[in-house]
Amino acid sequence: MSVAPENYIALSAVLFFIGVVGVISRRNPLIMLMAVELLFNSANLALVAYARAWANNAGHIFAFLVITVAAAEAAIALAIVAVTFRRTPFVDVDEVSALKG
Amino acid sequence: MLLYFIWLLPLLGGVLLWAFGPQLKSWAGPIGSALIGVSFAATVVLWNDASAPGGLHVPLVTWLPGWSFGLQLDKLSLIWSLIITGVGFLIHVYSIGYMDGDKAFARFFAYMNFFVFAMMTLVLSDNVVGLLVGWGLVGLASYFLIGFWFEKPSAVAAARKAFVMNVVGDVGLMFAIFLLVQHIGSISYADIFTHFAVLASFSPHVTFLVCLGLFIGCAAKSAQIPLHTWLPDAMEGPTPVSALIHAATMVTAGVYLIARFAPLWSASPDAQQLVGVIGALTAIAGAILGCAQWDIKRILAYSTMSQIGYMIMGVGVGAYQSGVFHFLTHAFFKAQLFLAAGIVIHALANEQDVRRMGGLRTRMPFAFIAIGVGVLAISGVPGFSGFFSKDAVVYGALETGHPWLYAIGVITAGVTAYYMFRLLFLTFFGPYRGDVDPSDLGIRHPELAGIAPASAGRAASSGHHPEEEEPHRHAPSWLMSGPVAILIVPTIFIGFLDWGGANSPWGRFFDGFFPHASEAAAHAPAISEIVSTALVFVVVVIGFAIAFWRYGTTVAQRDAIARLRTESIRMPAVLVNAYYFDAAYEALLVRPARALGGWFDRFVDPHVIDAGVREAAWSAQWLGHLFRSFQTGLVRAYALTLALGVVCIVAYYAFAFTGGVR
Amino acid sequence: MTVTALVLGPIVIGLLLYLVPRKQWRTATTVAAVIAALAFVLALADPHAPDASRHWLARPFDASFHVGFGPISYWIVLLLSLATFGGALVLTGPRSRDVAAQLLILQGAMNGVFLAKDLLLFALFWDLMLIPVFLVLIDAGPHARAAWKYLIYNLTGGLALLLATAAFGVVAGTTDVIGNPNTHVTIGETWGLWIFAGFAFAFLIKTPVFPFHTWMPDTYAELPAPVVAVVSSVQSKAGLYGFIVIALPFLAPEMARAQTLMMVLGSIALVYGALAALAERDAKRVVAYSSLSHLGLILLAIFSGSALAFQGAVVYIVAHGLFSAALFLVLGAVEQREETRDLARLGGLGARNPKLAGALMLAALAALGLPGLAGFSGEILILTGLFKAGFVWPALIALVAVVLASAYMLRLFQGIMNGPEVPDLPERRDITWTEGLAVAPLVIGFVLLGVNPGPVVALVSDASKTTVSSTGAPAAPIPETVRAAR
Repeated sequence: MSVAPENYIALSAVLFFIGVVGVISRRNPLIMLMAVELLFNSANLALVAYARAWANNAGHIFAFLVITVAAAEAAIALAIVAVTFRRTPFVDVDEVSALKG
Repeated sequence: MLLYFIWLLPLLGGVLLWAFGPQLKSWAGPIGSALIGVSFAATVVLWNDASAPGGLHVPLVTWLPGWSFGLQLDKLSLIWSLIITGVGFLIHVYSIGYMDGDKAFARFFAYMNFFVFAMMTLVLSDNVVGLLVGWGLVGLASYFLIGFWFEKPSAVAAARKAFVMNVVGDVGLMFAIFLLVQHIGSISYADIFTHFAVLASFSPHVTFLVCLGLFIGCAAKSAQIPLHTWLPDAMEGPTPVSALIHAATMVTAGVYLIARFAPLWSASPDAQQLVGVIGALTAIAGAILGCAQWDIKRILAYSTMSQIGYMIMGVGVGAYQSGVFHFLTHAFFKAQLFLAAGIVIHALANEQDVRRMGGLRTRMPFAFIAIGVGVLAISGVPGFSGFFSKDAVVYGALETGHPWLYAIGVITAGVTAYYMFRLLFLTFFGPYRGDVDPSDLGIRHPELAGIAPASAGRAASSGHHPEEEEPHRHAPSWLMSGPVAILIVPTIFIGFLDWGGANSPWGRFFDGFFPHASEAAAHAPAISEIVSTALVFVVVVIGFAIAFWRYGTTVAQRDAIARLRTESIRMPAVLVNAYYFDAAYEALLVRPARALGGWFDRFVDPHVIDAGVREAAWSAQWLGHLFRSFQTGLVRAYALTLALGVVCIVAYYAFAFTGGVR
Repeated sequence: MTVTALVLGPIVIGLLLYLVPRKQWRTATTVAAVIAALAFVLALADPHAPDASRHWLARPFDASFHVGFGPISYWIVLLLSLATFGGALVLTGPRSRDVAAQLLILQGAMNGVFLAKDLLLFALFWDLMLIPVFLVLIDAGPHARAAWKYLIYNLTGGLALLLATAAFGVVAGTTDVIGNPNTHVTIGETWGLWIFAGFAFAFLIKTPVFPFHTWMPDTYAELPAPVVAVVSSVQSKAGLYGFIVIALPFLAPEMARAQTLMMVLGSIALVYGALAALAERDAKRVVAYSSLSHLGLILLAIFSGSALAFQGAVVYIVAHGLFSAALFLVLGAVEQREETRDLARLGGLGARNPKLAGALMLAALAALGLPGLAGFSGEILILTGLFKAGFVWPALIALVAVVLASAYMLRLFQGIMNGPEVPDLPERRDITWTEGLAVAPLVIGFVLLGVNPGPVVALVSDASKTTVSSTGAPAAPIPETVRAAR
């Protein structure tokens, strides 16, 4: 049996929405990072679903690429977060606004 | 070959004396003089070659096709060359005595030699651009020598004025050159004179414009109205300079120019008319100003202006031979007058005011004789050189059909006699007034009197002259009196060259050289030449009589001090200010130019142009401020923007590819 | 080889000069002078040196590192060597090492501008030559304002130039075009005007021409005299040179369209500069404004379309380079001695410094166009050409400027050298032999060029002929001069 692609896409959209809301509404950078992971994975889900539906392997390859990028992103982002929190006592991204114009 | 030699020898002298002046010390004078003497001798050697038809010609350089430079020595340039080197030599010798002890002795001779080179360039050039080169270089030499005592502000100002006004003349010449090159495509005289008559494009209008341009050059160089104001101020220079440059040679370059371009002039009656009128006006205006001067050199300067007016009138109306002849005689008698005046000035420790002279006849008999002969010559007393040449010029105006110019010429002759005899009486007759308090003679503080600023520095002038330490009068050395004595001979006798009209030596020398004034024959003069001569003589005698009545009688000499005081105080302001030409130039040209320039420099540049640039910079800055407000530094705000952006893009593609909401 | 050495040699050696310790600045200035002299000899000995070319870009358009002598650039390279030589010789003081190095880099960069046969290369060197001047300015001036003004104005121009170059390359397919008689590049109407506008903007700022000139007096006043001598004598010619070698051959229709505008700008610059120079009190600014006036005249000549004026323009470019370098060097000597440039304070130096006075006199005379010196020979050819081509009003305006030139140049000279001696000015010795050596070649140059500009004219004029009895063609648009330029 196979699940219809619409379902995957719907799940992907739900995940993406949760991720967006997470990034925008939460102030804790760790939670925000997790939300970003959700965004990545919703995209992965959509890619793989389409790849299966249209029998095109490009989607799978892209998914792998995204996983790699996500890993790299997580590593760098965590490093930045660690450095930032060594300097400021807060666990709040709104207080870290050194790039304000 | 010899021509190159004549031309370059003075340049060599100028450069050598300038570079090695300090080493040469007192040898500079003799060396400089000797070089000019050799140049003169060489010119004499070339007499026969030069007076052959076509003259001598040697090439120099070529810039472009049609722009070839060369030297030529024909009859006209021969006359000028002989005067420049001959009289120049005598004045050089005189200067050895006059400038003796000046700390810049060598520099003086360097400049003088350079002047001779420049003047030779002017008269030897075979083309109009070369002429302009000479024209500019003599202006420079004149600038150097007027400003020779450059610590003196008045001399510096006079020098600059002379130079700038002469550049106005150069510019006039340039204008003529533009037209000539435009229509003829060549700068050489030969091409110009052969082509202009046959070219259709060379209309009378163009001819007139060319003549006008040339005449602006003449007016500036030869001190013709309205570009004459530099000449009186130029008397700031040492007296030998006044004699050589501002009397005998450079200022007559305008006469040379018109005589050189005689074919063009003859082809343009309008130009002849204009030049004749300006010449006559200058003659009378200069003569009248000459009556109002107290400075012996300024009297002579205005007389030079007036006499050149005669020459210009002569060559202007087409009496080329007479005009050139007046140049010749004037070169001798005016050089002699200046040099003799220099002896007086030298002996009186730089006193130049005739009110403070008087009675010098017995103390300086030689100077008296020299100036006396000069006065007789310039006044046109029969037998002296000025008589022949002036008569010829004045009668030439009548012959060519200009009775009004003739009348002005005759009147000017009378005025000339008046102010020259006035000079003679004031200087050499009556009591000596050098020890009288200046204010008793009506000599006011120059600034208060409103005299041109150039004369204001006179008092300071002596500071730079060697005589200051030793204000005793002394007899001139033979170096000074010798040249004057030699000049007396031609001053008296040179006029006889023109004795007998067309068959005279002068007439035969220039036979066929100048174009015949076409209308000359048509106008039968109302009076014959002999009557005219008599008329002029009567007017001259009247002029003399007035001068004698005012300054020469026993009564006049007895009351001299009081009379001079009255005359000084009552001198009409219009004459004291020389018809306000200087004031007008100052108010109409100099000040507005300065003010406009200052406005450009201090207002337009910083507050208009730079302000525009600053506006541009500010607008960039404002835009920056605007964009800056978007950068909140809040990561979550960025994320929101990003998300909205994504929504927009997705929405766009959704609508674009599905055809919108169904 | 020769040509490449002329471009890269000075830059490399200039950079190496930074290795010399600051205290041994005398060594650095000597090296710089020797290199400049060497460049002069090199160019003089080998006027027919072959081009050096190395292919560089194939996309988006062809570009090469292509340098070689052209008829005009040859003279400019000689001029630049003389000016750099003079500038390097008169350098003194602890900062001289840096300035000497910058002078050499500047020489190399400017050689690059004038010898480049590729537009892209031209544009790159164009911007490169700003850097040394900027560095000297920011180092020398009491306030950095002049330096930034210089940089911003000229970089704006440089940007326009780069854009125009890129557009040119894309439209024409190649930028390897300067001085190449075999290229038949045509820029269509669509792009022509924009490309021309970009070039013209850059060139007008660089020259400078009214109303883009305000950076110039500030820069010239603040720069040390040795550097300003080089900048005013050569860098100011880059724009005019650009008009001649780029706009004239490839954008002739656009030039003809811009003719009236340029004539007006040139005429304004002529009078504006002259009047401002007449009123200015700072000696260096007087000369700066006089340059504005003189360069306006050259602009008129280039846009007149007359072959005669064009030849005059080339003569005048070299002449102006010679006399303005000499003027600034002498003014630098004056400033160094008296520690002021104020004409109201200076005076009477001539009595104790006759040789200095002589040098300033000669330079001033050449600048005011004394017949017999180089300024005159250029001026008379330009003016006659203008007149012949039917531009009577610009010619007459130029005549007025000639009169004004004599007034402000004499004012400058007399203000410094004549008059009574000023007691509170320091008394220093007359011109030193190094200063004399620095100025002498320039003086000899403008005297020779004044007596006979034939050699300069001959190189650029084999195409154009002036014949006896040829009547002036009214305003013949550019083509007559195109051949001469290529």
